[in-house]
Amino acid sequence: MGTNQEKYMNPYLAGVLLGLVLLASFLVLGAGLGASSGIARLGAFVEGCILPGHVRSTDYFGKWGENPLRYYLVFMLVGTFLGGLFSAILAGRTKIEVEKGKSFSSRNRLLLALGGGVIAGFASRLAQGCTSGQALTGSALLLSGSLIFLVCIFVGGYAAAWFVRRQWHD
Amino acid sequence: MIKTLFGLDQLGTPTALFLALLLGLAFGFALERAGFGSSRRLAGIFYFRDMAVLKVMFTAVVTAMLGLSYTVAMGWIAMEQVYLMPSVYGAQVVGGLAFGVGFVMSGWCPGTAAVGVASGKLDALVFLCGATLGSVFFNELFPIIRPLYAWGDSGTSFAFSSLGMSQGGFAFLFTLVAVGCFWGAEYVEKRVAGTGAYFKTRFLKAFSLALVVLSAGLLIFVGEKTGPEGSAAKAGMNEKALLQAIESAEDHIDPEALADRMVAGEEGLLVIDVRPPAEYAGFHLRGAVNVPIAELAAHLESRKNQGAVVLYSNGMTHPAQARDSLARGGHRNVYILTDGLGGFIDQCLKPASLRDEPVPQSVAAKIAAWRDYFANPDAPPARPVKVEAPKSSLPGLVATQWLAENLGRKGLKVIDVRDQKEYNGGHVPGALALNPESVRGNVEGLPSMLLPPGLLGSKLSLMGIEATDTVVLVYSGDKLRDATLVGMAFERLGHTGYAILDGGYEKWIAEKRPTGTLLPVVRRSNYSVNPGADTFTVDSRTVLAELKGGTIIIDVRPAGYFTGKKRDEARGGHIPGAVNRDFTLDLASTGNGASVKPTEELAAAYSTLVPSKDSPVIIHCRTGHQASQTYFVMKHVLGYLNVRWYDAGWTEWAARPELPVEP
Repeated sequence: MGTNQEKYMNPYLAGVLLGLVLLASFLVLGAGLGASSGIARLGAFVEGCILPGHVRSTDYFGKWGENPLRYYLVFMLVGTFLGGLFSAILAGRTKIEVEKGKSFSSRNRLLLALGGGVIAGFASRLAQGCTSGQALTGSALLLSGSLIFLVCIFVGGYAAAWFVRRQWHD
Repeated sequence: MIKTLFGLDQLGTPTALFLALLLGLAFGFALERAGFGSSRRLAGIFYFRDMAVLKVMFTAVVTAMLGLSYTVAMGWIAMEQVYLMPSVYGAQVVGGLAFGVGFVMSGWCPGTAAVGVASGKLDALVFLCGATLGSVFFNELFPIIRPLYAWGDSGTSFAFSSLGMSQGGFAFLFTLVAVGCFWGAEYVEKRVAGTGAYFKTRFLKAFSLALVVLSAGLLIFVGEKTGPEGSAAKAGMNEKALLQAIESAEDHIDPEALADRMVAGEEGLLVIDVRPPAEYAGFHLRGAVNVPIAELAAHLESRKNQGAVVLYSNGMTHPAQARDSLARGGHRNVYILTDGLGGFIDQCLKPASLRDEPVPQSVAAKIAAWRDYFANPDAPPARPVKVEAPKSSLPGLVATQWLAENLGRKGLKVIDVRDQKEYNGGHVPGALALNPESVRGNVEGLPSMLLPPGLLGSKLSLMGIEATDTVVLVYSGDKLRDATLVGMAFERLGHTGYAILDGGYEKWIAEKRPTGTLLPVVRRSNYSVNPGADTFTVDSRTVLAELKGGTIIIDVRPAGYFTGKKRDEARGGHIPGAVNRDFTLDLASTGNGASVKPTEELAAAYSTLVPSKDSPVIIHCRTGHQASQTYFVMKHVLGYLNVRWYDAGWTEWAARPELPVEP
């Protein structure tokens, strides 16, 4: 599909579009965008399917009640997937693949993705949000903690970038 | 003014879930348009190859910030309508650093990975599985990481207030930094990757100019304001919050009411100080516990909707946000202290002698008692004060003054027999609502009979009343009979420690005594029933048997019913030999309410009907309701000794053809 896929949108205009979606979320929901909460609630649901009694007794997932998936950010995550799917199909950018540099093995790339996922999932619970809920939403609200979180993402990312650079080498 | 779903506490409704799905659609669409369905592009920023993440993200933040600031400045929406996450510096620094590592390792973050999966990226799917797993690990390790999770919790904190800047000034600087970053990013791309397509283009120049102009415009609109935490806006905010509190008041508690309830040692009342530990250590309300805002939800989970929880801080913004956030989690028993700790100190703890305006004696005494309790945190805990005996003997009428002095004391229970609607609108603090009709029912075919003692005892147990309690019944308008009917229930149980509030709720209000809308905290009791206490209720056989004796039968229905002119039953008229004394004659109107007439006047009126205090008397009406009032007046106000009550009354007498009737 690589040949007939569209160019990406002008990043500044894409940013304005994203900012307007966030503004709409503030004005309608009274809360910004979020993604990691949806994932965490999925985690609570899955863990609840395996160990039902245990999850209800835990301090963190336990307070989400019998049905952790009935939450607005879970629905937003589903919407994000569908919106992405719509746009990707429209632009001809759907292709089942493991994205990586040519010289890097798929297995190692997936291991890095898994490890990064575990860390990001854990860290977003600790910071009460991820790039969407804290860095994007909280920064637009000019909240101190969210701006600090935003800066720290880049500090952490640049500090570790050198160690994982090979996955993108062609 | 826009009311958001968060502001309306409706984020859990199906509408909100659907709207969240729609906003998610737009979110996912925008992310994909920006090219964030590709981990290579996302990770590009960390190698200075592709700075799209920075460009898109900063533009989005600035756009939403400008948009929201303008909408607030136009007065279309208030910041209270938006959920503001707490700043927890320690947790967010550690979380941010770790998140950055996870981001660069995987090339994904949660939102973009959802778009990545939609674009067919297997690494995105693996990332999402990892993130789910990471969340589960967090949950399992939560007991250990809890201190880190709350490390540096500062509640809602705006960057501009932390830096002592105005909101407009900060937003302007922030926009300049963003524009600088855009030019830097384009330059870096040009040097490193030979791209930087927008460097020095007319588009970027125009775009930069637009952002700077828009943010400079903000200086004019909101430059003077320093936000909700700032000093300039503070007075207005408090006033507004106060007005709202007066209007709705359902989530506020006044300092005086809290002080009274704390001094009374109310069971189930939890007062939480959400200020930083250092401030808490410096001074806090006696009995308050210190819980950081980030831990509130976890701390209160086991107490959800049990007892009253009151949050306080220096101001009202943080507790109000925390309360809203808890309300989203289903907590309906969380209140915030009106005007915060400062207001409490001013209202309750400032000595009467230091006040600008003179305070009445009774208030000064209260202030002294509050100071005694709150200013000496080292003093031994106050032993709950027992309710004192009223001047009049019980059962009887008690004065509003006595109730005000004894309110909140151990062993006092107030029962409000007014309509539930009236009760919900405001009642004597701590009063239990009771529908007077609920003490009656069909007993062996006879309608509206006072229930047997076992059932009455069970009802009182559910209300947490003990046989040793002093119970005060509160009526309104001319419905004294509602209180006396409930009084009959206590009589049947041999519970002599009950009284009726003289003058009713109207007198209480007229005297500007405290009221509240909170529900009382009740723990079920085990009311011990004395089954043989009722020696005063008689049936039709007894009445018939005593017709020829010296017993005086008083029919208290209005005269029209007594003479048979009016009737709602099969037969009109009255029991042969009965005398008529309309129950309403015992009440005197007090403007908007009614109270029992002066004792001398009543004594004179009844002495013409009943020769001596120990003459046998049987009182009845149609259902026993009106008669309960005359029973109370004769027995407990006037001191007649041999008064009995024919509960079934005319309802039964008229329906039994074998019983004689006099027209």
